[in-house]
Amino acid sequence: MNALNDPIFLAAVALLAPIGAALLLVVLPFVRHRGAPAAGLCIFGSVLALAAAVKLLFVHHELGDARFAVTWISAVSKPIAEIGLFVDGTSSSMLAVVCLVALCVQVFSVAYMHDEPPRGYGRYFAYHAFFLFSMNAFVLAPNLLQAFAGWELVGLTSYLLIGFYFAKPSAAKAAVKAFWMTKLADMGFLFGLLWLFVATGGFEWTAKLDPTVAVGVTLLLFLAVVGKSAQFPLHIWLPDAMEGPTPVSALLHAATMVAAGVFLIVRADPLFVQAATTQTIMLWIGAFTAVFAACLALVQRDIKKVLAYSTCSQLGYMVAALGAGSAFAGYFHLGTHAFFKALLFLAAGSVIHAVHSNDLADMGGLRKKMPLTTLTFVIGALSLAGIPGLAGFFSKDLVLASLEGRFGWVPWGMLMFSAFLTAFYMGRVLCLAFFGNLSHKAEHAHEAPLSMSGPLIVLAVPSVVAGFFGSTLAHAVGGHYEAHFVGLTPIVASAMALAGLLASIAVYGRNRDARVAGAIEGLDRASAVDRLWELGYRRALLGVSSVLGWIDRYVIDGLMNFTGYTTIEAGAAVRGAQTGRMRHYLVAVVLGAVLVAVMGLVA
Amino acid sequence: MNHWLSLIVAAPAVAAALLLVLKNEQKLAIRLVSLVGATVSLVGSLVVAAQYDRALGGFQMLESFPLVPSYGIHLKLAVDGWGVALLLLTGIIIVTGVLASWSVPKRDKEFFLLLLVLVAGVFGVFVAQDLFVFFLFYEIAVLPMYLLIGIWGASHDVKAAGPFKYVWKRFAVGGKEYAAMKLTLMLLVGSAAVLVGMLILWNGSGARTFDMQVLENATFSRTAQMWAFPLFWLGFGSLAGVFPFHTWSPDGHASAPTAVSMLHAGVLMKLGAFGVMRIGMVLVPDAAEVWAPLVGTVAVINVLYGAFCAASQTDLKYIVAYSSVSHMGVVMLGAATLTPNGWNGAVYQMVAHGIMTGLFFALVGLVYERAHTRAIAKMGGFAHPMPAVAAFFTLACLSSLGLPGTAGFVAEFLVFVGAAQSEHWWWTIPGVLGAFVTAVYVLRACKSIFWGPAPKGEYAHLQDAQRTEWAAPLVLGSALVLFGFWPRFLLDSIDGASATFLSRVVTVASAPDMETNK
Repeated sequence: MNALNDPIFLAAVALLAPIGAALLLVVLPFVRHRGAPAAGLCIFGSVLALAAAVKLLFVHHELGDARFAVTWISAVSKPIAEIGLFVDGTSSSMLAVVCLVALCVQVFSVAYMHDEPPRGYGRYFAYHAFFLFSMNAFVLAPNLLQAFAGWELVGLTSYLLIGFYFAKPSAAKAAVKAFWMTKLADMGFLFGLLWLFVATGGFEWTAKLDPTVAVGVTLLLFLAVVGKSAQFPLHIWLPDAMEGPTPVSALLHAATMVAAGVFLIVRADPLFVQAATTQTIMLWIGAFTAVFAACLALVQRDIKKVLAYSTCSQLGYMVAALGAGSAFAGYFHLGTHAFFKALLFLAAGSVIHAVHSNDLADMGGLRKKMPLTTLTFVIGALSLAGIPGLAGFFSKDLVLASLEGRFGWVPWGMLMFSAFLTAFYMGRVLCLAFFGNLSHKAEHAHEAPLSMSGPLIVLAVPSVVAGFFGSTLAHAVGGHYEAHFVGLTPIVASAMALAGLLASIAVYGRNRDARVAGAIEGLDRASAVDRLWELGYRRALLGVSSVLGWIDRYVIDGLMNFTGYTTIEAGAAVRGAQTGRMRHYLVAVVLGAVLVAVMGLVA
Repeated sequence: MNHWLSLIVAAPAVAAALLLVLKNEQKLAIRLVSLVGATVSLVGSLVVAAQYDRALGGFQMLESFPLVPSYGIHLKLAVDGWGVALLLLTGIIIVTGVLASWSVPKRDKEFFLLLLVLVAGVFGVFVAQDLFVFFLFYEIAVLPMYLLIGIWGASHDVKAAGPFKYVWKRFAVGGKEYAAMKLTLMLLVGSAAVLVGMLILWNGSGARTFDMQVLENATFSRTAQMWAFPLFWLGFGSLAGVFPFHTWSPDGHASAPTAVSMLHAGVLMKLGAFGVMRIGMVLVPDAAEVWAPLVGTVAVINVLYGAFCAASQTDLKYIVAYSSVSHMGVVMLGAATLTPNGWNGAVYQMVAHGIMTGLFFALVGLVYERAHTRAIAKMGGFAHPMPAVAAFFTLACLSSLGLPGTAGFVAEFLVFVGAAQSEHWWWTIPGVLGAFVTAVYVLRACKSIFWGPAPKGEYAHLQDAQRTEWAAPLVLGSALVLFGFWPRFLLDSIDGASATFLSRVVTVASAPDMETNK
């Protein structure tokens, strides 16, 4: 078979091209330190990966699924774990999305990061190349163990990229916080793996489980998803993660990495369908997060934080759909969201680049200075808001439809309300940043260069049309889908989107400083959830550790010292007996002999 | 019959003897002789790893010379799958350790001499097939530490407090002499226990031999076993840092000079764990099965307690030292599971932790030499002047917290799988929690040392790694990644040995009389 028609070869290229670039950047410091060549190498790797991924879509369409695996670990000469590549409709479509978005972000970064010193520039692109490898290793995983490895490695790149500006204490803190929060949740993944292995002797995606084991394993896996996909109450790291460079937020913290949690559930759907309890929990947590995060998005002043909370909220939609048992709805929304949210972040990056501020208060009237950025941002915002015909509409509609009638329509209602909020906060951003009067800082703003606006245009296209590929996607992953415009859910959803937009225009079009949700502002300032975690860290973890540290030094080691001390003191005490005089010893010998004799007589 | 094993053991000893004829002033010659001695052993270890027939398994490259035949003592050397891995670890650590001590400040000759003698002992333990010779090498490995810490070490103050405050009258707690003395005494008490255990076996086998292969096939009375196992566990275990006999480790490792910490935490602690498994569990399997629940429970205390203690430290070296206490707990946990995965994980963790902690101590030494402080609170932003050190330190942190793609993950994961498969699945809970606490303290340390605004004043011009200082980060760093991505380099041979040894424990354990005893 021609190598270019071999799905395994293509998948291997998509996996190895980025790691090849990353490795070269690690072992060739002189390339990395020069900056620009590093960007070239990284982008070259991504182009290769994307080309392979796109070709793979067609090859998979023709040839179907393929699997390749080698033994990674064995015990008593029998393999217990494999690594390799698994190509099916789900992984090949996700691979293409990831590679496309990653390439757009990397190209965008070339101009966005050009003020970095060359060393930092090179380091940035080395991280990016490594990220793409990790994400692809996760997406192409033939089993849960490799998925876990990829999952942790994307967590590592997230940590490194959030902390990219490591000189900034806030960035350092955010990076570590993100790692800890997700690592805390990842213990669930690890326990899930262990349980799965003990129950089935493997790490397969499609294992058959006893009902109890199924609920246990899936709940543990879901815990990891709550961390990675920033669901309540582990969402607190995501807004802080905006400390990273904006393109990073676009790629990792909106389009791909945070969606890995959702992808995991889609992938492990055969396990989750065996656990109705887990699905119910997922449904409620997803629906709650969708509303809760949307509320917080209403009051953010930082444009990136609006988008970050919006990401939490949209991930909530996906999780709710998965909880409703509709893996395809969740996956479809994942795909469209990846495009329009990456677009929104990159456009926001373009704005931040122009006005040198994240604060919405510093923006305003940018449509006059940056028409292309404005246009693409509006497309992304409307798609996110769910305006009929755009990509976000179709996938959100499918999510909502999957909830029809469930639990007395309550989750459905929550997500409908959240749809209204979504349109409202996006309308607010549009009003504050792009429309109205030109702000002071925006006076010197200018449109981004082509290398930045190009990726915006590339991403704007699927943000509009991706919805029409729903049935293609459904076919690839082995499902069925038809777009609807008429029906209860699509009509109500469209009404919500329009109402939200109009309401926010009515409010913010007139008064930039309007405050519509004072209570939420209070909640946001107090950020009660954040404080609770902080308390747990300082009081519980560090508290216990300082107590144990003291005990170890002064009690456990104290006992050892005490033993030594007693030995020395005892020696000192009996030293007096060693007088060195022969007659004392003679007396002792005689007395001893007498004692022995007496004891002998008595016995 | 080839002589690679005796070459590996002899090379450092010969180099040490050559050092005797050199003068202290011949600084370069001293270092080169040491480096050549260490390198010969490393090359030998690589050859052994390449020549070892994994398909065949078992003991290979046997060499035997009668030593005291009337007592059944032979200088008998052979290597099994565990030995292959641990020889390689020792070779890597000693070569990088010699290179990391290039700038040892005083009495160079004695320093390298003791270092080489010590490592000859370590190599000997891993290939000895005679209990007496094993013990001899074990003592050779342990004793030089006293001088190495006492002479070249560093002191620090520990505030007098706590219920045993009055002992400060007698000892300068935290001083290098104190640390050296505590380490030596605690380990020697352990050795004494081991010696008694050995004599029980020598006597109990009826064969009047120390030959380990003969002892493996001997049947010991239940009473003999029940006495011998705890002696081996606590005796060897004190060197592996088994709670509560671990307290020599933080003070000892914090006081010791760089290369000595590297060797001690990187390799010597493994002798302890290796002893528990190879002597304790394999030779007295019935007792091992009975005692395993306690061994494992103490091990998880090590894991979690060590991690929490590390989180409370403010001195960089203490953090790394306590992390060893925690990570050696993972080794002992794997051993206690008595499952193939647990045992593979335990031995793999010996290698992974050895490399990782060697890297840690090498980097800490680098930072300390330049900044002259180990107090984390005084550091910050060091990644600006020393980016390479920061990068390698991060890598060591990642392996420490068990990130996939590093050797630490493979090891910890296998141990946890073994624990989950054992009768005591709950061991996984403190085990995994320990890994999380590790993530907290290593990343916190990494952040406060290396991240933040560029340092000013005295720290503004810290140098990154120079010349020979690159050896340890480069070699150990790449080993961590290599063994993390493709564990089968070592794991296949480790697995062969684990399976053979374990079949002994398990078949004996499942014999009918043991069933009734449960």
